[in-house]
Amino acid sequence: MPTRSPARLVVALAVAGVLAIFLLYTAVAGHSTPTLTPSEMQGKSGKLQVVGTVVGKLRGDSHSASGLRFQLADPQGHGGKRVDVVYHGAAPPPLFRVGRSVVVTGTYAHERLQGTDIVTKCPSKYTSTAS
Amino acid sequence: MADLGRAALVVTLGLAVYSLVVGGIAARRNERRLAASARNALYCSFASTLVAAAVLATALVRHDFSFKYVAAHTNRHLPVAYTLSAFWGGQEGSLLLWLLVLTGYGALAVAINRGLLRDLTAWVVPVIGGIATFFSFVLVAVASPFDTQTAPFDGAGLTPSLQNPYMVAHPPMLYLGYVGLSVPFAFAVGALLSGRTDERWIIATRRWTLAAWMFLGFGQLLGAHWAYVEVGWGGYYAWDPVENAALMPWLAATAFLHSVMVQERKGMLKVWNMVLVALAFELSVFGTFLTRSGVVNSIHSFSKSSIGPWFLAFVVISSIFSLALIMWRLPLLKAKTKLESAISREAAFLYNNLLLVALCLTILWGVLFPIVTQLLRGETRTIGRPYYDFFLRTFGLPLLLLMGIGPLVAWRKTSLRGLLRTLAWPITAAVATGIVLVAVGGGSSSPGLIAYTFSAFVLATIVVELVRGTRATGSLFVLVARNRRRYGGYVVHAAIVLLAIGIAGSSAYSSSVERRLALGQSMSVAGYTLTNRGVTVDAKPNVTETRAHLAVKGRWSGSISSGDNQYVNPPEPSREVGIKTDWLRGEDLYVIVDESHPKTGIVFVQVLVKPLINLIWVAGIVFLFGSMIALWPDAREQRRLVARLAPIASS
Repeated sequence: MPTRSPARLVVALAVAGVLAIFLLYTAVAGHSTPTLTPSEMQGKSGKLQVVGTVVGKLRGDSHSASGLRFQLADPQGHGGKRVDVVYHGAAPPPLFRVGRSVVVTGTYAHERLQGTDIVTKCPSKYTSTAS
Repeated sequence: MADLGRAALVVTLGLAVYSLVVGGIAARRNERRLAASARNALYCSFASTLVAAAVLATALVRHDFSFKYVAAHTNRHLPVAYTLSAFWGGQEGSLLLWLLVLTGYGALAVAINRGLLRDLTAWVVPVIGGIATFFSFVLVAVASPFDTQTAPFDGAGLTPSLQNPYMVAHPPMLYLGYVGLSVPFAFAVGALLSGRTDERWIIATRRWTLAAWMFLGFGQLLGAHWAYVEVGWGGYYAWDPVENAALMPWLAATAFLHSVMVQERKGMLKVWNMVLVALAFELSVFGTFLTRSGVVNSIHSFSKSSIGPWFLAFVVISSIFSLALIMWRLPLLKAKTKLESAISREAAFLYNNLLLVALCLTILWGVLFPIVTQLLRGETRTIGRPYYDFFLRTFGLPLLLLMGIGPLVAWRKTSLRGLLRTLAWPITAAVATGIVLVAVGGGSSSPGLIAYTFSAFVLATIVVELVRGTRATGSLFVLVARNRRRYGGYVVHAAIVLLAIGIAGSSAYSSSVERRLALGQSMSVAGYTLTNRGVTVDAKPNVTETRAHLAVKGRWSGSISSGDNQYVNPPEPSREVGIKTDWLRGEDLYVIVDESHPKTGIVFVQVLVKPLINLIWVAGIVFLFGSMIALWPDAREQRRLVARLAPIASS
């Protein structure tokens, strides 16, 4: 039986390999998206995700040139800033409506979010009775 | 009746505390009568939790809306199955289910092992008692399902998309898995506390771990299928934190199930196994923290309830406790032998473990990334699908390859030449598959091509093993019956291959086209032509169903409908997709009508063709079958175990 086990070498190389792949990914390919609430969007621009509650009236149609237009407020509904959203593309999920919590991904510029994707939060599961 | 439920939970809390404190003292002083008393308290805690569960179930069935919980999650129109499934549909009920399964599992595991592993079970009782103390305290003091109110006439009901048979089975399956991981954790901690760190705790809990792992894996597939048929976005897994919360402990448990074989056979990886079992348990509780605390953004709208900090505290304290215990017992956890060669069965298990844990930790990093960026940069940033897909390919494809190599490598050491000779047939099958795939155009996706080639390799190794074994024993049935663990494992490997083929096929080779179709207008996608035949509206007592009807021509001809339902009570919509399955190809034609105009007949439609996706669901059945083979009781194995464990127990 050999006096030194290659186990430690294998583990060390594997850990180093994982770290190298991870660093490579985060350095080259990894790109995260800021996830903000409407009141956190002051001075922001570019691609981001906004988490909020749909408020105001729903206007237009996502398939039309002018798009579906609505506003997002902070999820907890404590007032604060509202963000104008214009959304183009496939119709929003069926649960999308005023009062619903959603995540809109898009590009923010000139105080308007050009939405490209809407995810409506799945309701009910594990929400506490008190809520 | 609510008072009875509350009282039963208080009794459970008292009994759990008794098991923890008195059980700990009894184990420390080696007092048998006291230990028996603590054990009986654990059994009784299951009985009192059962009473509490029966109270809630009765209130649900009787539509007793004086229970806030019943009013919040059901209504009078809800079918009985969904009314009962509301037991785990809300936070308080799901925690009660957790406690019920925990005390039930704990009592059973202790009862089964108390004879042969008396020294160990004396410590297991206070550990299970400690976990039960936490959950019963949360249920008594923070999130009671027995809060009452003046009864309204009707309840809020259940969202239509959750009124699905998959949603009846999916959550309890996950709980059976999550909570099941408490048993091997408790035995591991018991082994560390008692200083009896031989392999008995692993052997005693092997089936418990396997069962928990099976439930967790199958539960996730049920959830994925629900998302596919019910949510209507064409996918089945979104790498959402809540989905990842179930995947992470499953990956850790998968690593554990493999590495324990090395400890059983070679007496190696003792520390690693302790770390893995603790990781699997902590991740299962951490998942609950994630889903209940609202700390990360998820497509599931969880309330920022008051139980989050309690769970975080529990995870932190139990993690520190486990790590400290492992550090304390390091001298007892030294390996009996050393890894002799990088080409051996034990080395293959080690590589498999490193890849599984690496995948698990990268997923954990992705889940925690928003919290970390918020803490470090003051801005929440989210990592999306590309990150997870990258690491799934990076770690998943080598794992797939190892699944074929591992079972054919000899223990201790093998020469490279000998290994290649053993793998000659599987390599031939893989190369042939690759050539055929490239010839038919499968080379358009490199990950897809690699996944299929590796899959062919693994399937060939399984076939080679089965043929060899059957020749030796004369019967496939006898072969499997004599070594259920090994051949059940091969069936599970086959399931993972089917899963890989399904995932690769449905993601790398799928087609998707979106169109606006006027009445009579057609669209083409991946060999199918769909023609808009109009929109119908059907008003029923509790629902209005709007459907667009499309005529289909291609590999399959007929009609397919999709649209939405608008319910009256609760006033919620649901998307209804049209799915036509071609079982011969495993392919789905998946139609999402996301907007339709009954007057004009105009529809906006998205059509997806997803090759081989149904292999994912078939994989679920095969996975269950393989796990059941490995789990099935084996009298001969039991006799061998008794003979093996008795001398250690008496030493």
